[in-house]
Amino acid sequence: MPGITRYTTMSRRGLLHTAGGLGLAAGALRGAPALAQSRAITVIADQSNAETRAIFAEIAAAYEADTGVSVTVNNMDHEAHKTAIRSYLAASPPDVCFWFSGNRMRAFVERGLFDDISDLFERENYYDVLGTSTETVSVGDRQFGLPLGGTLWGLFYRKDVFAEQGMTPPADWDGLLATCEQARGAGLTPMTLGTKELWPAAGWFDHLNLRINGLDRHMALMRGEMSYLDPSLQPVFDHWQDLIEREIFTPNHTSYSWQQAASFFVRKQSAMFVLGNFMTRAFPAEEKDQLAFVPFPRIGPETRRYEEFSVNSVHIPARAQNKDVAREFLAYFYRPENLGRFLRPDGNVPPRHDIPVPDDPMMRSLVEALRNADGTAQFYDRDTDPDMAQVGLRSFQEFMVAPDRRDTILERMEAARKRVFRA
Amino acid sequence: MNALDAVEKRALGGSGPTTEAAGPWRSNRSWLTPVLFLVPGTFLFLLIIVVPIGQSLWISLHDWDGFEQPVWLGLDNYRELLGDPQFTTALRNNVIWLVLFMVAPPAGLAIALMLNQAIRGMRIAKSLFFIPLVLAPVTVGVVFTWFYDPTFGVLALVFQAFGATGPALLSDERLVTFAVVIAALWPQIAFCMVLFLAGLNNLSEDVLSAGRVDGARGWRLFWHVVLPQLRQVGFIAVVITVIGALRSFDMIAVMTQGGPFGSSSVLAYLMYEQAIFSYRFGYGAAIASVLFLIMAVFIAWYLRRMLRLEREAA
Repeated sequence: MPGITRYTTMSRRGLLHTAGGLGLAAGALRGAPALAQSRAITVIADQSNAETRAIFAEIAAAYEADTGVSVTVNNMDHEAHKTAIRSYLAASPPDVCFWFSGNRMRAFVERGLFDDISDLFERENYYDVLGTSTETVSVGDRQFGLPLGGTLWGLFYRKDVFAEQGMTPPADWDGLLATCEQARGAGLTPMTLGTKELWPAAGWFDHLNLRINGLDRHMALMRGEMSYLDPSLQPVFDHWQDLIEREIFTPNHTSYSWQQAASFFVRKQSAMFVLGNFMTRAFPAEEKDQLAFVPFPRIGPETRRYEEFSVNSVHIPARAQNKDVAREFLAYFYRPENLGRFLRPDGNVPPRHDIPVPDDPMMRSLVEALRNADGTAQFYDRDTDPDMAQVGLRSFQEFMVAPDRRDTILERMEAARKRVFRA
Repeated sequence: MNALDAVEKRALGGSGPTTEAAGPWRSNRSWLTPVLFLVPGTFLFLLIIVVPIGQSLWISLHDWDGFEQPVWLGLDNYRELLGDPQFTTALRNNVIWLVLFMVAPPAGLAIALMLNQAIRGMRIAKSLFFIPLVLAPVTVGVVFTWFYDPTFGVLALVFQAFGATGPALLSDERLVTFAVVIAALWPQIAFCMVLFLAGLNNLSEDVLSAGRVDGARGWRLFWHVVLPQLRQVGFIAVVITVIGALRSFDMIAVMTQGGPFGSSSVLAYLMYEQAIFSYRFGYGAAIASVLFLIMAVFIAWYLRRMLRLEREAA
């Protein structure tokens, strides 16, 4: 639409990087022969981990040294990038950008903003090394990105605290209730929670719904094909309300971000934490071996296990300047040794089968849980429409504070679903 | 014909004063000069204020996600606003902001009067009161968020000292807006104080002395002699406070992000959220238009007042 001002928000660091990158590019141009002039690409990254950023810069530098292509990396603040990408994809796309697979990717694919890179999959034979991970970056039978590390969700606990109190990690619903009681008896808050950023509450909804209604029904709900007033959702909210009324969660959780809440968990004031494996980063390095992971408990008769597994990804915008060079760069970056190095600091699960899994107990239990899963969802705000997610996340937070408003909340969500999916 | 031609003619120097007096520049100067001076400003004003307002109103009549072709909706967005509980909450919170912010001008005046005394060390006190004005609103928001933190915050510690449990102000849907407004009032009061301090410096000595000669002291002197001279400043303080209350956004973004579950949102924040996070530019623009209408009422009142004051002065 013409006449609308678009602006890109960039962190100060991002600006510095751009400035530095421009200087670098100019320098390269001066020395290089005329032929190489177009062999320059720009990458927009959103890595919040300093170590990951450094490794990515090293990979880019090694690629530069190998090929003479100059690579400019603009790293943006992770949250700011989520809004900026919408304007830069349409206005001034880079050659490579980081994003999230699944529905979040699909939203851009449907608007023609991400390039079809099935040819790269074909050429580099990614289908074989990726296996089912290919699905996360596919729309129809075409591929629009490369999957990066995956975050697995589940129940975290401290081994030392559990050993001290003689508690065992819960495997099913009754076990969960019993462990919560035990934890309370020991003067601990049973379940850590911080919902200031809304989405941690949605993790509870997803897990309960995946356990009670299974993956297919959950995904139908995410795609807007199922009503939020459907009776099959009532048991989900019944179980949830039961937990809320037992007061197992951190009090005043809406005041805390997940990091703040994690500090209660780290300081042994609360017993368990349902979150993605990125929470290991909030844990002090010297105590890492005390942190343990089990899948979210089973509920009821459902025997199949569906897990929450969110996969990040990297893409080539449809309107990028140098799509060929971008493909070459991605192929280089996606080599098992480079990708493995890039993923290690975040502790995420590698998508390629040929990357050796780092040998630490946490990673081993994540990989095992993933292997035993019968299917995966990505996460509420990655699986459903962004507009619906905005309403949903807020509704889940409200439900966790005022469960007695269930009917009003569900009706509001259903109204949003009808509007968003034109159902 | 324009100003340049006239200048050129004069530079050529052929004609005497009689022709010049009859020249188009001379005869039109009275209106041409102001027009020329106004052109750049008017152009910028049109380009960056008036045109975007028009565009925003236009977008508010569409369903637009920021990428695809906008779809014409007519007044549907506005109709939806009427039934949207989140909009009602935001509007109510805007009213709370507006009412509570009215504390700022009198409080600023009170502090200004206190600081205007000729007492030793008052300069230091003055500079202390200036501090919130120097801080970026984001900083103020972060500091108050820590202050309110239900476990480690100063407020919680005070309550703990008395053996009580501190309230989680930012988690309580009934109190959260008040907590944010109090944080925002801190710099706003300082701002009003600065305005009034400047006003107090410009008091007419003659009138003050005359008042004293007539036996006015203390409260009567303040009420009948000082306050009338602060009318102009007070008016500006009120107007700036009203605008500040209506465009409140930064504090909410930093302290609560509209939460918990939207209970501390205001129109400006709701608009941002709808447009940026829900990809609903049309609906966001409709909220912006409502906010613009509310502001327009105050701006019209302000302009009327200003014009009247100018006429009185003339």
